[in-house]
Amino acid sequence: MKGIEIQFPGVKALDGVDFSLRRGEVHALLGENGAGKSTLIKCLTGVNKMDAGKIELEGKEIRPTDPKNAMDLGISTVFQEINLCDNLSVAENIFIGRQPIRRGQIDWKEINRRSQELLERFKIHIDVTRPLSQYSTAIQQMVSIARAVDVDAKVLILDEPTSSLDNEEVKRLFDVMRDLKAQGMGIIFITHFLDQVFEMSDRLTVLRNGHLIGVYNANEITKLELVSSMIGKDLDEIFDLKRAAQKPDAKMMLDADHIGVPGKVEDISFNQKQGELLGFAGLLGSGRTETAEMLFGVTKMQNGDLKVAGIPVKIGEPMDAINHKIAFCPEDRKRDGIIGDLTIRENIALALQARRGMMKPMSRKEQDELADKYIKMLSIATPDAEKKIKELSGGNQQKVILARWMATEPDLLILDEPTRGIDVGAKAEIQRLMLQMCEEGMSIIFISSELDEIIRCSNRIIVMRDGKKAGELSGENCTQADIMRIIAGEKDGETA
Amino acid sequence: MKKSKESIFKSKLAWAVVAELLILLVAGILEPNFFHIEYNATTGMFYGSLIDIVNRSAEITIIAMGMTMVIALGGTDISVGALVAVAGAFALKLLRWDVTLYPTPGDYTIKPFILVILVPLLICTAMGLFNGVLIGKFKLQPIIATLILMVAGRGIAQIATNGKQFTTGYTPFRFIGQGSMFGLPFPIVITIVVCAAVMIFVRKTAFGTFVESVGVNPNASRVTGLKSDKIIMIVYTLTGFLSGVAGLIYSSRISSCDSNNAGVNYEMDAILAVVLGGTSMTGGKFSLVGTIIGSLIIRTITTLVYYFGITSESIMAFKAVIILIVIVIQSEPVGKWLATRQARRQKVGELRG
Repeated sequence: MKGIEIQFPGVKALDGVDFSLRRGEVHALLGENGAGKSTLIKCLTGVNKMDAGKIELEGKEIRPTDPKNAMDLGISTVFQEINLCDNLSVAENIFIGRQPIRRGQIDWKEINRRSQELLERFKIHIDVTRPLSQYSTAIQQMVSIARAVDVDAKVLILDEPTSSLDNEEVKRLFDVMRDLKAQGMGIIFITHFLDQVFEMSDRLTVLRNGHLIGVYNANEITKLELVSSMIGKDLDEIFDLKRAAQKPDAKMMLDADHIGVPGKVEDISFNQKQGELLGFAGLLGSGRTETAEMLFGVTKMQNGDLKVAGIPVKIGEPMDAINHKIAFCPEDRKRDGIIGDLTIRENIALALQARRGMMKPMSRKEQDELADKYIKMLSIATPDAEKKIKELSGGNQQKVILARWMATEPDLLILDEPTRGIDVGAKAEIQRLMLQMCEEGMSIIFISSELDEIIRCSNRIIVMRDGKKAGELSGENCTQADIMRIIAGEKDGETA
Repeated sequence: MKKSKESIFKSKLAWAVVAELLILLVAGILEPNFFHIEYNATTGMFYGSLIDIVNRSAEITIIAMGMTMVIALGGTDISVGALVAVAGAFALKLLRWDVTLYPTPGDYTIKPFILVILVPLLICTAMGLFNGVLIGKFKLQPIIATLILMVAGRGIAQIATNGKQFTTGYTPFRFIGQGSMFGLPFPIVITIVVCAAVMIFVRKTAFGTFVESVGVNPNASRVTGLKSDKIIMIVYTLTGFLSGVAGLIYSSRISSCDSNNAGVNYEMDAILAVVLGGTSMTGGKFSLVGTIIGSLIIRTITTLVYYFGITSESIMAFKAVIILIVIVIQSEPVGKWLATRQARRQKVGELRG
C-alpha cells in the first residue's frame, strides 16, 4: 500500500505537520477554524507555496504549482465555496477547461451525454443543458463534486462538501464516496459534522493552531475525546448551555398573522415574546430562510399582518426592519453578508451607519472603538481592525457580521444558519452568546439545519415544510424524533 | 491596536505620484525651461508649462471626480463626452450669437446671464439622473445604459443648435474658460472648488463608504440596509452635473460650441485618469486624490509631447506607451514581485548588518 506523505515544517500557519493518506481510504481532517486545515489543503493543491517540507505522491516527490497542475497530477479538490459559473449550463460547468474535441469542434453531444451519466451516479436527474443558476445550492454543490470526481483523480479533497446538503443528498454523496473508495481513490474529507466523520472515515487527523495533534483510527476514538482534542478544552464547559429563562411578564415582540409571499412562503402565523429564542427547523427550501427574509424586508411581504412590539408595521425593505430594531445575519455569508474588500472596522460599522444615515457619519474614533470592542467581545482572531474581512476565516467572518448587527443594538435578531461551516468551538461560542443576549432581553429567531443545536437553545421551535408552517413545539422536552416526524409529515398541527 | 501597513510597492497611489514626478523629471532634463513660471503684471496671471498642465486638465479632472465613484460602484459612464457637447450647445443657444437669427449686432443674451450657466447644468444633471435611473432602478448594465446618451447626447446637442457651430464674444461667458482669479486661470479655480466640494461630500459624510460597500457587494449592502439604487442614482447624477461643468469650461475656452468634436474621447480619458489613480475597474475602494494625479499624468504626457514638437499623428501612440508602462508597474503581480524583492533585500541587509 503506497501512501502520500506531506511535511511542512517551519510554516507559520502549519508547523511541521505530517499527513498521510492511503489508497482507498477516507481520511478526515479535523480542527477548529484557523487550525490550518485549509492551509494544508492549499499547499497540497498548489494554491499556497510551502516554505519547507515535501509532498510525495506514490513515492515520487511532487511540487504542485497551481490547482490545475495539482489536478493534472491527480489531486482533485472541491472547495467549500462553490466555484462554478452560474451562467453556464450544468454540462459546461462539468467539462469546463477540458471539453472533448471532435473534428476540431467541441463535441456538445458527448459533453451532455457524459454529464447526464455522471450525475445519474449521484441520482440527480436534471437537464444538464440548462444554466446552473436555475438549480439550488445543493445541486450546485453536487455538480462541483461531480466535476471533481470525473477527473481521473488519485486523491480527492472534499472541503465541507455537506454543509449545504440535506440528509438525503448527504446520503447520496456518501454512496458515491464509498464507490470511489472501493475503486482505490484516497479521499480527504473535511467537515464539521462529527457524525459524518464517524460514519465515513477510516482515519482522522486533528490539527490545532497549525500543529498536528494526532492521527487516530476512527473506531478507536470516541466523539468526546475527538472534540476535546480539537479544541483543547473540557467538554463540559462547551455543552453546559442552558436555555434562556422566560420571564412571565415578558411583552410580545413579534406577532405574525398569516404572513406570506405567494410562491415562496404562505400563511405563516406565530408570535414571539421578548427574550425568547425561537428556533426554525425544516429542510432546505422548506421556507425557513424565506420567512426570515420576509421578516427583514429582503423580499417584500405581500400578505398578512405583522406587529412588532404590539404596533402594526409594514416592512418593505431592509431599512424598515432596521428602523424597527430588527437585525438579520443571512445564510449565504459570501453573497449577502460580507463586504469583502472593506476592512473589519468598516464591516462592523456599516449597519449602524446605514441606520444613522449618510449625513451623520461616525467619526474614525467611534468606528475604531466599536470595532475594538466587538473584536474583544467576540474574540475575533485578527491582528487588527484594518484587515480586509475576506482575509478572515469563515467563523471569524461570521463573528464580524454578528458584530455588525449587535452594534445596532436590536430588539430582535434573526440568525440564519449562523453556525454553518464553522467549528465546534466557535459554534459553542455563538450559541452561548445567543443565550446570553436572550437573557438580556433580546429576542432571537434561530434557523439551523442541525436539530441538536436547535433543541439545545430554543424556547420554542417552529417546524417548516414546503413553504408552510408544519408545527410548533416547546423546546423544553422535545426530541429530534419529534421534529423529524413533523418534517416528514407524519404528524401535523400544533403540538405546543 | 497596530494598524496594518500595506507595502508601498502595492500602493497604486504612490506609483501614480512617482510616475508623474518621473515624467516631469524627464521634461525638466530635456527642457530646463519646463518648470519656469512667470508672472505677467499686465494680465495679472501666472504663465508656465506647469500652470498650463493644470489648467488644461480641468475638464478631465472634474469629470473624473464623478467617474471615480461610478467606477467604484463597478460601473462606467461613457456618456460624459456627449454631455460635454450638450452643455456647450445649450449655453451657446442661450447666448444667442447665431448670426442668421440675430443679424444686427447687439446683446441678445438671455437675461439674467446666470441662466446661461444654470440651464445647461440642469440639463446635464437631468441626463445624469436618466443614466442613474436606468442603472439603479431598471438594473441595466452601465455601459449599455450610458451608451444611449453617448449617442443621443450629441444628437440633442445638434438639434439644440440646428446643427450649426456658433461662436460667441460675450465676455462674461468667455471668462469661465479664459479668465483668471488670484493670478490663476479660472478653470483651475473651478477645479479646486469642485474637487474640494466632492471630497468633502464623500469623505465627511458616510457617502464614500456606502459607495465602496455597494461597489464591492451590492447584495450584502442591501441586506445591511443601504439603498443601493439611491446611491447609484446620486453618483450618476453627480457625474452628469460635473460633465456639464466641464462642458461649460470647454465651450468657453473655444468661445464656441461644437456638437461633433466637443468632449470626444473624454470618457476614455476620465476612465484612464481614475484607473491611473489606483481605483480598480472591478469596483470597491477608490481614491479621489489618485484620480486628480491620474488626470495630471494624462495632461502632462500630452503637454510634453506638444512641447517637444512630436507630430500630432504619433501623439496617441506615444501617450499609449507611457500609460502602458504606468499601468503595468501598478499591476498586482509587479507590485508583489517588487515587494518580495524588497523584503529579501532587507533580510540580506539585516544579515550583513
